[in-house]
Amino acid sequence: MAQTTDPSIPFAPSAANDRDRDFAATALPLLPNVKRFALSLTRNEADADDIVQETYLRAYRYWGTFAAGTDCRRWLVTVCRNTFNDLVQRQAKSVAVEDDELESLATARAHNAVVAAGLGDMYSRLDLGPAIQKAIAQLDPNFRDVVVLSDVEGFSYEQIAEMLDVPLGTVRSRLFRARRQLQESLMVYALDAGFGRPQSGQRASSMEKKT
Amino acid sequence: MTVQTRRSECEEIVRRLWPYIDGKLPDSDRERVTRHLEECVACLSHFDFARAFLEAVHEACPAEKDDEALRARVLAALADEGFSAAE
Repeated sequence: MAQTTDPSIPFAPSAANDRDRDFAATALPLLPNVKRFALSLTRNEADADDIVQETYLRAYRYWGTFAAGTDCRRWLVTVCRNTFNDLVQRQAKSVAVEDDELESLATARAHNAVVAAGLGDMYSRLDLGPAIQKAIAQLDPNFRDVVVLSDVEGFSYEQIAEMLDVPLGTVRSRLFRARRQLQESLMVYALDAGFGRPQSGQRASSMEKKT
Repeated sequence: MTVQTRRSECEEIVRRLWPYIDGKLPDSDRERVTRHLEECVACLSHFDFARAFLEAVHEACPAEKDDEALRARVLAALADEGFSAAE
């Protein structure tokens, strides 16, 4: 059947239907991905759901700006992060750029301290899941964004630089520093929980991984 | 190789820990680190620990899962915007 178009209508029905079909087929299946990312930002189910809903509303309104054939997950995660920032009115902080290589070196030194404390096998021996989530949430937001996008969502340095609109070197610096801070937090957590060498007799058995 | 030389070589290698693990080193640097790790237990231990850390971070975050209630809520909000899901 031939369709008539009315130029006075902003979206002709057929065009609107195509747009909706495209949105439904491309963006909606990624809802679980967006939810997981939102959870990593909020650590709260209800807040994450609010962020996801607002993300999809914005994504729908601006669907025309999404370049068909490109990575929709990346686009939605960027919309989600911007939505979160707008809702919490977060101000971007300027972060001093650290020396990438020194961060790597500091990570190795932290490992020496971990071994000396009797925690060299902490990742295989302990269930650190809740502690890792908490430590990620406590990071400076600029560091947290990068570590979540890289080490949880699997985006490349280059993609993250584009998503956050920061130089590649800043992505690297923030990522390495975030990882070191996380490692240090986890070591402190494990020691406080009594897993270090001095308190080896006081282990909290509930944290031991089940084998 | 003297102890001092070995120590500086180890430091040079460890400085590349994260870029190496992330696959971001140029080929020549990557090969140098790989060769070193094949013969240096101390450095290998640093790299293994870093990899175990990244694996723990990845596993700690909740898996993606379908959330029908949220999907219905999002669809209802989109419908208010004029969206029509052509299932």
